[in-house]
Amino acid sequence: MALIHVQVTYTMSTCGPPITDAGQTRWPPPFFSSEDAALLPGFPKQSFPPPKAILKTSSGSEREHFCCLTLLSLTCFAASLAMCFNVFTVNLTLTVCKHGFMFPLCLLVSSKVTTDHSVGGSYLGCEPMGLFWGLQPAPGEREGLRLRKKNVEAPYTVHISLLEGHVSPSEGQTTRLATVTTERWYMAPGVKRIEIRQDGVVGTLFLPPGPGPFPAILDLWGMGGGLVEYRSALFASRGYASLSLAYFGHKELPGPLNRINVGDSYFKSAFHLLQAHSQVCTDRIGIFGLSFGVYLSLRIGIHLGVTPSCLICINGPVGSTSKLSDPDGKTKQFKSEQTNWTFDDQGYVSFRKVSLPSNLFNGSLVKTENLTCPLMYIVGEDDQSASSKENADLIEETLRSVGKSHLFTRLSYPGAGHLIEPPYSPNSRASLWSVKPKKLVTLWGGHLAPHAAAQEDSWRKILEFLESNLRV
Amino acid sequence: MDRKQCCVKLSVQPSRGLVDEKFVVLVQNAFPGFQLTVHAHHQCEDGHGWEAFGHYTADATGTVNVSEDPSLGGTYSGAEPMGLLWSLRPVPGSKPGLRMRKKNVQTPMEITVSVYQGHQTEGFVDQVPLTGVVVERWYMAPGVQRIPISEDGLTATLFLPSGPGPFPGLLDLWGGGGQLVEYRAALLASHGIASLALDYLTSKITMETGKMVDNQYFETAYRVLQQHPQVLGSRIAMLGLSFGTSVTLKMAVYSQVVKLRCVVCISGSHVQPVDGSVEQILSFFHKNADKTRFNEDNEAIWRDLLLPIPTDPSLKVDVGRLQCPLLLVVGEDDQNWPAYESAMDMKEMMERAGNSHLLTILSYPNAGHLIEPPYTPHARASSFRTVSTRLKLMALWGGQTAEHSRAQEDSWKKMLAFLRENLYGGTDPGARSISHL
Repeated sequence: MALIHVQVTYTMSTCGPPITDAGQTRWPPPFFSSEDAALLPGFPKQSFPPPKAILKTSSGSEREHFCCLTLLSLTCFAASLAMCFNVFTVNLTLTVCKHGFMFPLCLLVSSKVTTDHSVGGSYLGCEPMGLFWGLQPAPGEREGLRLRKKNVEAPYTVHISLLEGHVSPSEGQTTRLATVTTERWYMAPGVKRIEIRQDGVVGTLFLPPGPGPFPAILDLWGMGGGLVEYRSALFASRGYASLSLAYFGHKELPGPLNRINVGDSYFKSAFHLLQAHSQVCTDRIGIFGLSFGVYLSLRIGIHLGVTPSCLICINGPVGSTSKLSDPDGKTKQFKSEQTNWTFDDQGYVSFRKVSLPSNLFNGSLVKTENLTCPLMYIVGEDDQSASSKENADLIEETLRSVGKSHLFTRLSYPGAGHLIEPPYSPNSRASLWSVKPKKLVTLWGGHLAPHAAAQEDSWRKILEFLESNLRV
Repeated sequence: MDRKQCCVKLSVQPSRGLVDEKFVVLVQNAFPGFQLTVHAHHQCEDGHGWEAFGHYTADATGTVNVSEDPSLGGTYSGAEPMGLLWSLRPVPGSKPGLRMRKKNVQTPMEITVSVYQGHQTEGFVDQVPLTGVVVERWYMAPGVQRIPISEDGLTATLFLPSGPGPFPGLLDLWGGGGQLVEYRAALLASHGIASLALDYLTSKITMETGKMVDNQYFETAYRVLQQHPQVLGSRIAMLGLSFGTSVTLKMAVYSQVVKLRCVVCISGSHVQPVDGSVEQILSFFHKNADKTRFNEDNEAIWRDLLLPIPTDPSLKVDVGRLQCPLLLVVGEDDQNWPAYESAMDMKEMMERAGNSHLLTILSYPNAGHLIEPPYTPHARASSFRTVSTRLKLMALWGGQTAEHSRAQEDSWKKMLAFLRENLYGGTDPGARSISHL
């Protein structure tokens, strides 16, 4: 009998096939078009952090001949009160034939082209991190789930198992040959998490370990509201002080939950709070926005008289999608603007048209011609929630017309949706948006593999952009 | 803001890993040709500070890669990827005779790695580094379970790998200092072997009754491991260091109960009254106590107690009768036990008996007695209190730090390969084969 030992290591190089050049992303046929070839990223090179997980199985037997193996990945997390334990699964099916004594069967290799291809399951091809970004709700889970970490001080626990044969774990009995447990963290050792409730500002600050001072990032999410910490935690793990800022849908903010009740003065306070922090470099602060956060980043960075060193915008509008209630930027009720909602045949709502430049509220359009620092705009071309391409075009054209194209960098990803987040987490093409007054599932867009590639590539480019604007 | 302070970047990958995993320390964005010191600091459980450092010069791109670039001085020199860990030494002003050993394996070792300007050798605590990160080093991988065992009078801890099992098992024995030392068993479980760390000198029974355990104690430990639902009873190994070797060899050769797939003996000897109890073996050593020597630093050298290797067969475990593979790991600078001489004698015995194909010897010049899992500091001598005499003195273990650390790294790798080969591989009558048709 041969026992199988599965091991996950995070080191960059282990025994195994020699390094060959990193290959191109393999994108399944419907999402690849030759004219987009110039925009397709290659896999990151060896020097790129973060480290990826390497899975290595080895058998001590000389005569063992593995032909059929399935890898299964499970992550369990206790989500908010509204949900109980959800189990996500992915399976990777490989066909490998390797002989030999103690031959490491390198299934997934960091930054190296693996010799092993998935021939079925949740994803195909050589995908080193497919077991993570390919996670999908397990059969039987309710619809509209989206995987997001609330508590960043604890890791995701992922169980990776080897099953016999090419199987889909949900169908009937499968023999689990071996399992390994791995942890995925948003906070590196030594990162400090500090709740901020000061000067009316509601947020969470993450500080890197070390003496400081550090360059910093003001981190803004979209109209999902609340206080989302994980991206800031990750920035701090990469050496940037980062402040996740709440501005909507948070019980510690003033006013009703369905409107933005804070305006320019609030965002100015937040920026200054960050700037004045003893562990922050006053002249090296960037602003990061996703979705509605893009509009806020542009407004703060261009209209408010603060001087960020750079702006990063993902999939969002140049103006407000909600009517402003006062010149300070507060809005009226978001829900009332339903005229531009569209529904697909499954009843999922798309907010895409809401942010078409022609639908944005005139008084709120940010004067991007007054931009004074580098701006990176990231587009998911399959974004079903925002008119990202159109807004990117508008910004690009505006800057070109005033001779500021050198400040503008654009990344555009075919097949990627609205939620371009840090890499190796699964994309939800649609998820639950609201339960009251009625249950609504919203469409984000994005197909699993190209969206995963977009997340991986854009994150690397984001870190490089921050590096050259905040650190040198 | 000083440009330098915001710019120098330090990363250690992985920032969380097992104690025996390598990491890559990378400094970037320094000025080309910049002189800097990469420094590691750790505060151990006893509260003592430990530090290590290397002197580097940034290359033309402003980068230092500790895995590839040579240290020009410090606590280690040359290209040493893990030098920041294995060359850790007590900070200036510490009391003498310290040895770093983790007691609580459920928490990680936290190491602060920092970059200082220039080539510094002291006064780190008074300076502000350019940058710093924290690294966690774990003895337990995620999913490994720690299970205290007290049934049948045992004082032991079982570590189970994550997963459904069942797993091959291992009995883990340390030496004459006693106590229940868990870290090596925890690490082995992190590599897929259900490991039982056994306290056999200061067990609860011994502390309560004042009597040493008998041979049955070890057979009980073996049985408990063998019968555990998540352990494969037919695939059990035994590992002993120092005095633990004496017990291990005895069990492997003479026990009717203990049936082992393979045996690993580190820094030990086969010299003992054949089939004597623990008590009898200890008094045998005691009889020769006058052979103890002291060096000019008043450190005790005990290697002569068992020399010369006797020719009398009643004083040596008859390794010619061994029926399973044996791996011997010895340091040629072992000042505590005559491990090398014993290994040579065992080799001769097995050659005469015709079972030397079972024997593998790993012998390391300039390695000392305490050959442990890699990337933890080396102690050439430390405070030691023997269980039998209760005398506290400075024991000389031996070994030159750089070569001893290399020996630890190499032997650990080979030990794991040896254990996997014998415990995971080979045929097992009646077991299911998973070979595809």
